[in-house]
Amino acid sequence: MSKSNILTVYRKELTDSLRDRRTLISMVVVPLLIFPVMSIGIGTFVGKMVLKAQAEVPTIMIINGENSPRIVADLKSDKEIQVVPTEPDYKQQIIDKKIRAAVDVPSDFDASLDHENNVGVSIYDYDGDLKSGIAAEKIEKHFDALQIATVKKRLVSRNLPPALVEPFSVKRQNVAPPEKVTGAAIGGFLPYFIIILCLVGAQYPAIDLTAGEKERGTIETILTSPVPRTEIVLGKFLMVLTAALCTGVLAIISMSTSFHIAKVVLSSSPEVGKALNFTIGLKAVAAVFIMVVPIAVLFSAGLLAIALMAKSYKEAQSYIAPLTILVVLPAVAGLLPGVEFNARMALVPILSTSLVCKEIVAGTYHWNYIAIIFGSTCVYAAAALFVAVSLFKREDVLFRT
Amino acid sequence: MSAPPLISVHDLCKHFRAFKRREGLWGGIQNLFVREYQTVRAVDDITFEIEPGEMVGYIGPNGAGKSTTIKMLTGILVPSTGKIISNGFVPWRQRTDYVKTIGVVFGQRTQLWWDIAVVESFKLLRRIYGVSQRDFDERMELFHQVLGISDYLNTPVRKLSLGERMRCDLAAALLHNPPILFLDEPTIGLDVVAKDHIRKFLRAINERYRTTVLLTTHDLDDIEELCRRIMIIDHGKLLYDGPLPELKQKLLRTKQIKFALRDSEAAGALQRALSSEGLNAEAVDEVTYRVRFDRTRVSTSELIRKILAAGDIRDLLIEDEPIEEIIKRIYAGESVMEVSTRA
Repeated sequence: MSKSNILTVYRKELTDSLRDRRTLISMVVVPLLIFPVMSIGIGTFVGKMVLKAQAEVPTIMIINGENSPRIVADLKSDKEIQVVPTEPDYKQQIIDKKIRAAVDVPSDFDASLDHENNVGVSIYDYDGDLKSGIAAEKIEKHFDALQIATVKKRLVSRNLPPALVEPFSVKRQNVAPPEKVTGAAIGGFLPYFIIILCLVGAQYPAIDLTAGEKERGTIETILTSPVPRTEIVLGKFLMVLTAALCTGVLAIISMSTSFHIAKVVLSSSPEVGKALNFTIGLKAVAAVFIMVVPIAVLFSAGLLAIALMAKSYKEAQSYIAPLTILVVLPAVAGLLPGVEFNARMALVPILSTSLVCKEIVAGTYHWNYIAIIFGSTCVYAAAALFVAVSLFKREDVLFRT
Repeated sequence: MSAPPLISVHDLCKHFRAFKRREGLWGGIQNLFVREYQTVRAVDDITFEIEPGEMVGYIGPNGAGKSTTIKMLTGILVPSTGKIISNGFVPWRQRTDYVKTIGVVFGQRTQLWWDIAVVESFKLLRRIYGVSQRDFDERMELFHQVLGISDYLNTPVRKLSLGERMRCDLAAALLHNPPILFLDEPTIGLDVVAKDHIRKFLRAINERYRTTVLLTTHDLDDIEELCRRIMIIDHGKLLYDGPLPELKQKLLRTKQIKFALRDSEAAGALQRALSSEGLNAEAVDEVTYRVRFDRTRVSTSELIRKILAAGDIRDLLIEDEPIEEIIKRIYAGESVMEVSTRA
């Protein structure tokens, strides 16, 4: 095999492809645009939604409570909730989302508290509605606090220590590094996008260099050149791989820079800043790239093999469209919560890479899995390349009637 | 005994298995489940030899097997059965070494880089074929002299006219000075001037380098101007292989003149004028007529003069008899010929 022949074919295809607008758009423009749009656009949108939900003070009504001015005043002074004048159709108003919740305070609540009688309080909310639930929780919190305060007051009046009813206190502490927290949420779909973009970047050149060549009738002229078919197809493959990797690399660069920019731009509001408070380190970027290389080889060779079977550009596109779904599915599976690694899953192409990249972005390196996944994907990629090369030597594939 | 032939083809066959489609909706559904195949004999038992320096015309209607033969001769396709030895090589087995000794031009497709200046393609081909810089410069000089391509060497191929592109394609095919040149429809779609240019060039390289040329064509003028020998193929079979003059004597005598009258009134006068010559004007439509004549007996110019004198002629066209008609006549046994007279 002659390296210079392969490189000559490669150079020709590369020069040619750089003049093809479709290839350029899918290879350069798409990856450069998708991440800034995603991170800033979605980041702003999500941030605003979170702030809005948290900023809303739920409106509630107090039912009864006529003879208990203390608790009514107490509830009215709670800044977490807003008490509106009571109306008899409060239930309907909750259903209509005009108010979020209502609380039924017995008339003798204050007196019962003073006489140390048990008294029941009812909260009305709309089960399943997030905002109604938050309102009910806030009312509950108010009464819980009152309950603890009341108990403490009674203990003090009897000269008993408060620890009698509160023997211990429980506090939850987060140990996950900050990048891991958001990594699990955001990190999942970043590698997924890189994988999809690799496929998108490889698609047009793969079709153009095979089915496109058949359609233009130039396949015959290539075949009459003194370059062995294996070398022709390897040169073509290198071109497709270049497009796939170029798209992948641009996606990675664009992804990391746009997240840095998004952080700077959006950190003016502390809540959003917190949501984006993670960085993708250089090590993670490099690791994701290395994991993406065999995937790019697999895509390039696979697409080349499939497009080779087609007689025309259109036919190739209709073969490759369903393939995209085949790639999207395992990549999406990596996004699902609760999908965890095991050795068998490490052998599923695309899914395994998607999963391991998600972990890498989140700051965890399972070296043994990384090795298995890299190795297995390399094997799949080699098999796909072998198929592409063998197909290119078959007369009935090149000249399908 | 003379030197061995440059190209020798024996009992060459190429069969394709083609999917046989049934007609109609029900047939379409059946096609999905039960597939029937039929064997298409694209090239069926062809034998011929070509000597060094020969220019041979290879003609036949569409789908006759011309291109398939060329593809086998250039090593792109592997024959089903039969033998080809070309320039000492078995094309499909020693393809890469073999193609360095041949040049190929497919008329309707270019091997040049579509979007890039012509000269870039030449440089690429120089690398692929391993042509030395000196040889390359010398050839470019020749192409400039004979083909006049230097004016548009820096133009992208897509901006060239078909004739200009064909000249560049020919130059590209001959860059490595191959002893054999295969041309598949080299003049298709070209205007008269461009055709003439190409033919002159082919004659020039044939004389200068004794380049052996096998060309397929639809255009009988190509053959007449270039080839002394002609092979006719139809349905994969070689119908005729022999010298052109002989074929011309027997089969290529007929020409036709098609003319359109300004109005149909003059038709009667015309009919009479022609029938005095023993000719008959067939009506194509109300105002268009066709006269077939034997050019060895009737002078073309004399006939045109008669037609012009007889009526007001709006348009006039002189044509060869289409190749399909000639083949029909071979089948009809109008002119009994020995097939493969040289074999």
